[in-house]
Order: sequence, then C-alpha cells, then structure tokens
Amino acid sequence: MTWEFLAGQFAQQFGLWWVIWPAILLGIVVGILPGFSPQNTLIMLLPLTLAVPVEQALAFMIALYCANHLAGGIPAILVRIPGSGGAAATTLDGYPMTKKGQAQQALVLCFTASVFGGLITTLATLALLPWLSKMGLYLRSVEMVVVMLFGLTLIAVIAAKDFLKGMIAGFFGLLLGVIGTDHIYNTPRATFGFLELYDGVPIVPALIGLFAISEALVMIEEKMIVTEEGRAKAVSAQWAGIIDGLRLTVKHWWQIVWTAFVGLFIGIVPGAGASIASFVAYQQSRLWSKHPELYGSGIPEGVIAPESANNGVTSGTLVPTLALGVPGGSTAAVMMIVLQYHGLVMGPRLFATNPEVAYGVFVSMAVAYIFMIFTILPLARYMSRIVLIETSYLAPVIVLVTIVAAFVERQYAFDMALALVFGVIGYVAQKTNYHVTAILIGVILGPLFEEYLVRALRLSEGDPSILFSSTLGNVLWALLALSLLLPAWRGWRRSKQTAAEQFGGEA
Amino acid sequence: MTKESNKSVGADLVIPALALGFAVYFFVDIAGLAWEAKANGVLIGAVLVVLIGIQVARLGLQLARGEGSFGFESLLGPREALPARLALVGITLAFIVAVPWLGLTLTLCLAMSAALRAMGLKSWKKNLLISFLVAALAWGLFIALLETDMPHGPVEIVLSKILHTSR
Repeated sequence: MTWEFLAGQFAQQFGLWWVIWPAILLGIVVGILPGFSPQNTLIMLLPLTLAVPVEQALAFMIALYCANHLAGGIPAILVRIPGSGGAAATTLDGYPMTKKGQAQQALVLCFTASVFGGLITTLATLALLPWLSKMGLYLRSVEMVVVMLFGLTLIAVIAAKDFLKGMIAGFFGLLLGVIGTDHIYNTPRATFGFLELYDGVPIVPALIGLFAISEALVMIEEKMIVTEEGRAKAVSAQWAGIIDGLRLTVKHWWQIVWTAFVGLFIGIVPGAGASIASFVAYQQSRLWSKHPELYGSGIPEGVIAPESANNGVTSGTLVPTLALGVPGGSTAAVMMIVLQYHGLVMGPRLFATNPEVAYGVFVSMAVAYIFMIFTILPLARYMSRIVLIETSYLAPVIVLVTIVAAFVERQYAFDMALALVFGVIGYVAQKTNYHVTAILIGVILGPLFEEYLVRALRLSEGDPSILFSSTLGNVLWALLALSLLLPAWRGWRRSKQTAAEQFGGEA
Repeated sequence: MTKESNKSVGADLVIPALALGFAVYFFVDIAGLAWEAKANGVLIGAVLVVLIGIQVARLGLQLARGEGSFGFESLLGPREALPARLALVGITLAFIVAVPWLGLTLTLCLAMSAALRAMGLKSWKKNLLISFLVAALAWGLFIALLETDMPHGPVEIVLSKILHTSR
C-alpha cells in the first residue's frame, strides 16, 4: 500500500459524497430508533446495494453502519432510550447531563467521541491491518470468558449505591439471558413454551421495554423531563453550548483515544460487539478515573467512554471479515453477502486481488466519519430542544413508536408483547431502585458469557483449569483481578487518609 | 434512594419475588438436561436465590425494627399519575392486540389519540393532528421506505392500491 494508492482511495471516496450523505442521514434516522440495527436496515435495502456498483454499495453500507452506531447515543442522552445495546452505557451519564440542562454538551461529546473514536481506530486499522488480523486468532473462548467478565463487573460498579439491589438486578438479567436453547444440544430452557424465545431473549424488545417504556411510565409524573434549572438552560441554548462541548472533547482527548482502542480490540473478536465494548470501556474509564464516585451523576467522561468504544468497534468488526473471511458481526455478515454477490471473495487474498476494495472499506469509513461530524454537529442545538416537549406528548409517542420498533428486528408480533412485559419489569425496577442497566447488562452479556464458557469447558471435557491455560488469558485474569482490587484498595487508602486527617485535626 | 421507597418494603420485594419465581421455574424446567445445558444457569440461579434470601432477611429486619411498612406506595405513587400510567399500559396492550387486524397505520393513529387523551390533552384538533402525523410518519418509515412486514390493514391496502405498490 503506497501513499499514492491511499490518496487515490481517499479522492475516490470523497467523490462518492452523493452516496455517503444520504446513507449518513438514513443511518442517523434509523439509529435513533431502537429496533433498527444496521444489519436489519442493510437487509431491507439489499436490493439497492446489490443493484449498484460495488464501490457505491460499499460506501453506502459503511456510512450507514457508522452513522447508525453514532445515532444510538442521541435518544440515550435525550430521553434515556438507547438506540442500540451499544448505547446503553451512554444513558448512565448522558441522561443525567440532560437533566442538568447540558443536553447540548452531552450530544456534542457523543458526536465527537464517536467520530474521533471511529476515525482514530479506522486509521490505526489501515496502518496495522496485518497485525490486527492475527489478533482475532489469539482471542479464543478462554480469553473471551475473561473479557465478558470485564463487562459483567460493571454490574458491581452500578450496584455501588445499593450493592444487594444492583446484584439482584444483574443476576436476574443474567438468568433471563439463559432463556433459550443451549449452545451444545439445542434443548430449550425456560422458554415458557414460546417458540419465539428459542433463540434467547431478543435484545431489542428487552432494551425497548427496560428503557423506553419504563422511562415513559415514570416520566409522566413530571411535566418535563428536565429540572426547572435545566429547562431554563435548554430554552436559552445557544451555539456556545456546542463550543463548550468541543472544549470538553479537547480536554478529554486522551480518553477518546484509549477507549476507542478498547472498542477496536473487542470488535476484532468475531461475535463480540458494541455492547460489550461500551460496557467494558465505561467500567475501565471509571476504574482509572481520579473521581470514580462522580460517574453516573452526569459527567463528560461517562459519555465519551462508551461512545468512543462503540464506534471503535466499527472498524474492528471488519478486520476478521476482510482479513480472514470470518464476519466479525451480523452487519459485517450482510456486507460480506453483498461483496460476494459482486464476485469478491473475503479472506487474505482479497488484499492481493482487490486492494482497492480491501483497503477501500477503511478509507470509506474514515471519509464517512469526516462527513458525519460536519453533518451532525450543528444539529446538536436543535436536537437538545426535544427535552422542552411536555411529557404528556412525549410519553405516548415514545411508548407507541418504540413498541412498533420492537417488531422490526425479527418481525414477530410476540416481540411487541415482550417489550411491554419488560417495560413493566423496568418500571418496577426503576421505582424501587433495582438498576435497569444492570438487568440489561445481564440479558446482553449473559448468553455470550455462557457461549464462551461452555465452548471452553467443552474443549477441556469439563475441566475448569482450561480457563487458566493460556498466557494471554492469564494476563487478562490478572488485569481483571486488578480491576476488582484497585477500587477496594483506593477506598481503603481514602478512609485511612480521612482517619489520619481527623486524628491530626483532633491532635 | 428516596425516603419514601425506603419505607415501602412491599414494593422492594416485587423484583426479588419475580426473580425468585423465575429462578424456581428455571430450575424445574432444566432439571433433566445435560450438565452443559444447565451448568451456567444453575450457577447464576443459585447466586440469585442467595442474594434474594439476604434481601428478604434485610427487609424483614427493617420491618421488625419498624423502619418500613409492607406497602407499595413507592411503586404506585404519585397517585395522580396512576390513572394515566395504567391507561398508557392498557392502550399499548390494546394496540398489540388490534394491530394484526387493523394494520399499523390505523391502529397507531387510534392508539395515539387515545393515549394523548388519557394524558390529559383536551384539544381534539391538536390530538388528531399529532395522531395523524405520527401514524403517517410510521407508515412512511416502516412500510413505504423500509418495507418491513408490519401488519397491513385497510389504510395500507388502500394506499398500496393508490400508489400501485406491490407487496
């Protein structure tokens, strides 16, 4: 790959602006709605992508995919409804920022973290592709068990305020995540006799119920979702809010970089996705923060970490697809179908036979991110005004539109009813302080954790020592132990310091 | 946690009761399966049951000390929002039942109008305008643009004939 080749690729992709821009706008619209995953949208638009030349199809799919990842954070911030599982962690600090009247800043942080996180990892992938493609081979089921545990420790973090309630919520979610057929024999477990649950609890209805419907049922207690002070700030929202958001982005640039790489590395593993990446990034960001106690109260770092990570995933997912011919996720699988239809075979040979496509994917992604920032940033000011709509209008729209969106992913009427059931569970959980995010983490990560665990144990014929059999896995175990012990050690040191200060004061 | 929710011990027991009920059902359902199929669930379920046991004991102690009541105030309150909340759940349920027969557009329009009314919107003009707009947007996005398999009713059939779209 030469500089001339790369420059030519960039020039070609910029020339496809007429494909990229509509894809970005469509990606944003469908990304805002829970239920429209990028793969669903791409499947629906398959006739279009199959009909146009491969370069245009690729540019369209990539732009839509990236925009979809970015847009999931918008409703997460404004109304506490994540557009996708990858944006669920964004609600933890994004929504409190909105309540404080900082919706505009939170949106700008979401956009810039997403775009720069995506851009940095895309450029890194372009430069390091041969090495990154090998990484997927080192992260096997044993290592992935530990990666899942990193995500699951977020339950304990969320549970900090009321440990017992948080843990009950998390383990309830994990048990719900076990619903469906098992990974070895395909025997149904706890499906209540519903065929629709054989594939497990679908994420979208769970997400819609736990967040959207439950939040709508709670929000009608107040006239507006923002506080009086927040309302005053939202009414007088000026361009200065955007500038302030950009200032915060610059201030936290390093966090954008490293959390984006968390997303990239997790994205490379086939099957792992944006949800895991954003939960792990949030948990790690809190762990290494100087003020972990502020997480959850509406701080910029709590928006940056999950958003940067879930966009770091976008390029990571495509690494095994292009380099190994193994789709890194369902969206990558759809892209693979389109490319194969056009006669391109994924795998190492693609870089020799069609370098313009292999590298073009990442160049296209970089260009899409550049277009995206200019498209969406000015909209933050107007989007933030949604919080000024009275809840008596907002709640019915949220409930009914998201119930319809629950249908879209699998096209089962059952999923709408399931979303309502989760809505009622979410409402009870919210009102009694059992954290809904902890339930959702369990529902999302539980099945993945089980899959990797059972796969590893199956390889060892039931011997659990396999979990400590690889060097990389053991390094990850050590880091996990460090993640768990560090906050405890910090707490002990802080209490010791406080005691010493008190003792000093008394003396 | 609010002071009010601290006092409503009954409300605090709803999620543990649901979780316990599900855990028991889960254990019964997987009893005869191979170890690979049930190992993970048994482990998670066992921890969940222990956690619920601790929570019940904790809440029982609160009750014994007179620090809480066996009420559901924190779950149902504030009372003035309860009718609207129940109406919203009821309308959503009716929507789910009716949508296979009436189709997306008409059912959504009717459900939206009923929900807005239940939320206290008095103006019929505003009500109908919002309901129509939401239904039209949903038709445009879900049916016309993305061609999802949303249930079709009289409105979709008429519009499809007018626009000569074949499905």
